[in-house]
Amino acid sequence: MASDPQSTANQRIVEDLVSRLRRRQLVGSRATALETLLVLRQVVSKARFSNIDQLVNVIRIVGRRLVEAQPKEHSVGNTVRKVLHHIREEYHTASERPTVQSSFSIAKFVLQGQPRKQTPIPRSETRVPLKENDPDDPDSFARVLKPVLMEAIQDVFDELETVYDNISKNAKDHIHSDEIILTLGMSRTVQSFLKSAAHYRNYTVIVAETAPSYGGREMAASLSSAGISTFLVPDSSIYALMSRVNKVILGAHAILANGGMFATSGSLLAATAARSYSTPVVVCAGQFKLTPLWNLYHEYGALDFGDPSAVLGFEEGDLVDKVDVVNPYYDYVRPELLDVFITNYGDHPPSSIYRLLKETYDDEDNEL
Amino acid sequence: MTDLQIHESYQRLLKNEDLSTPLAAILALTEMMKQSNAGTMFELLNELKGAAEALSKHSPNPIGLNAGCELFIEFITLFPHDAASFSELKTELIRQGQQYAEEALAYRTKIAELAFDFIKDDSVILTHSYSRVVLQTLLMAHKRKRISVFVTEARPRGMGIKTAEMLTTAGIPCTVVLDSAVAYAIEKVDFVLMGSEAVVESGGLVNAVGSNQIAIIAKAANKPFYALAESYKFHRMFPLSQYDLPSHNPGVLSFPQALSARTRPASSGLPSESSSSFSSNSSPIKISQEDIARNNPDVDYTRPDLISLVFSDVGSLTPEGVSQYLVGMFAG
Repeated sequence: MASDPQSTANQRIVEDLVSRLRRRQLVGSRATALETLLVLRQVVSKARFSNIDQLVNVIRIVGRRLVEAQPKEHSVGNTVRKVLHHIREEYHTASERPTVQSSFSIAKFVLQGQPRKQTPIPRSETRVPLKENDPDDPDSFARVLKPVLMEAIQDVFDELETVYDNISKNAKDHIHSDEIILTLGMSRTVQSFLKSAAHYRNYTVIVAETAPSYGGREMAASLSSAGISTFLVPDSSIYALMSRVNKVILGAHAILANGGMFATSGSLLAATAARSYSTPVVVCAGQFKLTPLWNLYHEYGALDFGDPSAVLGFEEGDLVDKVDVVNPYYDYVRPELLDVFITNYGDHPPSSIYRLLKETYDDEDNEL
Repeated sequence: MTDLQIHESYQRLLKNEDLSTPLAAILALTEMMKQSNAGTMFELLNELKGAAEALSKHSPNPIGLNAGCELFIEFITLFPHDAASFSELKTELIRQGQQYAEEALAYRTKIAELAFDFIKDDSVILTHSYSRVVLQTLLMAHKRKRISVFVTEARPRGMGIKTAEMLTTAGIPCTVVLDSAVAYAIEKVDFVLMGSEAVVESGGLVNAVGSNQIAIIAKAANKPFYALAESYKFHRMFPLSQYDLPSHNPGVLSFPQALSARTRPASSGLPSESSSSFSSNSSPIKISQEDIARNNPDVDYTRPDLISLVFSDVGSLTPEGVSQYLVGMFAG
């Protein structure tokens, strides 16, 4: 297959994304998800396969390569899983083979309690019989299935494109007039959520500046330019201000299966402070951030680290060789500290995240 | 088949080291079905329910076997049959029961693999009493990671010592801690692995007595508390307190009234007098281990909010997830 010109073309676009991920030229969960999807679309459209296993295998190999390039961008793996899930669904509807329901046993009976899979409306109307492993015409399987698959991938694409709008749709139901909201960091999701609520409500936002990235400053500028009354405060005053805050709204980097999340560092501080005042903590995130991982490593070493010069620059030469400086990107926030996730598919408590995961991905893909 | 016979076959099945109570109960029910001459589904179900009740009555701690009986009977009720004759259907049901018991033996390996991902290198693990699935998980983890284990003694049955012996034989560093020393040890522990008799509808856990206090201590120390349970241990029961468990009886935690009534008139008078009479008493009261065990519980109930995750053969679930499975099985 290596000599195949098509697969070398595939190889090239995959390697291109791999190197951009590795060099951190491409960061952010939505950006990486979109790029991954573009690569997968390319791969599927060029792939040669004569049965479903071959196709799944091709996607898996690409997926594994991308995930290994940057394991901490969880949305890469999530996108691959989602595409695999959709492909299997399309295959099952297209092949018209009833999903294995032949025998009823106690083990299957127990599985009745399993969350039901989402079943999309069958798209393939032209019922061309699917022939797998046709020796005369090995491409026939791919020819019939490909248009449907492209549509399925397009659906995932559309979902990513509209994710902010869909999350902000119900913003006015979560934010009430004259409320004081606390947020931190620069999250596009939270930004559009707050701006959308501002069309209907008059409220105040307190933004923590979120050192050392100072994403909060950017956020505050953007919100106040949209006409929202905004206060920019240092991170150290989060606790002091919490007694006045009605709601904490946070963004997420990845939502984990136990209902916890990785989020910009500072989030744990805000969530803990909120807990001690019983202030609700709301998380806005697209479903592509759902990651089928249980937080196995609770210590911060499992998180991502940024450039330490933002914390202590080389100008302060006297200090630099006397101290170790770390600049972790993310906090792990435990599910007990969060109240609700607002996603593009409705609002969910942390305890039902595992269920959403079972509905969104296939179990066999958890380990790519 | 009489009540006694089914109880005997249940006891005989339990002698098999690998067979847990729910599976033994399912197999005992299939043995009963073989000998039953019920002619209709209704009769058969009645017999099964009678047998399940008999088993439960003869057992001091029926929670596990109840879960097995409940699963099997519910399965039979909902079995979509297209058999030509009733005897054919019965054979099929018996085959299903036996096949399940056979398949289910592999569940422990599945759970061990799930739990394995949560065990970091150099972990210190606390476990309680004796549980086959915990043991298998630890033995598997030992092959690929460095682990050390604290095992509680688990009075009154002292089953923790059996665990410790088996772990030590396998070369796992292992120390027995007193049930009363759990709070002392917890700071050295990374997480708790707990077996189970049953996982109930609230997502809570029924297990050897002492599990609840370990869960409370783990919560207080902010250590994860993982329960391991095969899915046949999911039990449709909603205990609100310890005393709602079927294993609770008036004898548990009762005060020995008869005894105090007998001794009181003998030691009437001033306290000083009574203490002198106590020393001169020819038969001072001795409390033996058996006396203590007699009015103490075998199992206790752990609330779901103390449990971090439940590992089962159907996946790693939050305690809420367990109730979802139960609803899907018994109400769906």
